Amino acid sequence: MKLTSREENDIVVLEPKGKIMGGPDATILHDQLHEFIDRDRKKVVIDLAKVEWMNSTGLGILISGLTTLRNNGGELKLARVTEKIESLLTITKLITVFDSYDSVEDALKSFE
Amino acid sequence: MTDNSNLTDTLTFPSTTDQVAKADEFLESWLRKRGVPEDTIANMAIAVTELVNNAIKHGNKLQKNKMVTVSIMYASGKIEVTVTDEGEGFNPEVIPDPLAEENLLKEIGRGIFIVNSLIDDVKFEFPPEGGTKVIITKNID
Repeated sequence: MKLTSREENDIVVLEPKGKIMGGPDATILHDQLHEFIDRDRKKVVIDLAKVEWMNSTGLGILISGLTTLRNNGGELKLARVTEKIESLLTITKLITVFDSYDSVEDALKSFE
Repeated sequence: MTDNSNLTDTLTFPSTTDQVAKADEFLESWLRKRGVPEDTIANMAIAVTELVNNAIKHGNKLQKNKMVTVSIMYASGKIEVTVTDEGEGFNPEVIPDPLAEENLLKEIGRGIFIVNSLIDDVKFEFPPEGGTKVIITKNID
């Protein structure tokens, strides 16, 4: 998995690419997410368009980010969730936990 | 061109987390060479990486001298993958329900549930000599 990030005003957009399956590369997303939280960035969008698939390790990282942000008065939103990941979110009922949007722009606007 | 030769293969590796990606590469390239549909490959890859993560972390407890083995067999319209570790085994019947309200926001505990959701048949075996063997079977349409 590769990860890029950018900031749009006070909102962080994370763009992971590849597969999130566990192992050392999975910690990159976790560490980057928590680094922004430590820097008091409380609004985060994860753009999942380029993630081929993830397993429960990836889902755990998303939940970790969501709960840490919410506990600090922030929020994590998902954008461009692929069909494969949406089906995993559905079978695990996590679809009820995350706010997800069809575009990054819509996710950014939702913070207004 | 579909390669139907050598319909079984095995990969054995030490219990370090960097091996998860290698196991995935082994599985995906093997299935792709045999013309297995991409969606099935993705489901198998998700399931097998779940089992390999469990074998490395929970089974072999990250002890490098303990090995994990992934075996693949493709025959009669079925893919069968076996993941074996050298750990102490566990009781699959006492895994907490990840869909229960109190577990929904837990960061771990969904692996076996996801495997069961994506795969047609999942069997756990605990050989007398120790370790856990998980056999998953996916039917190919």
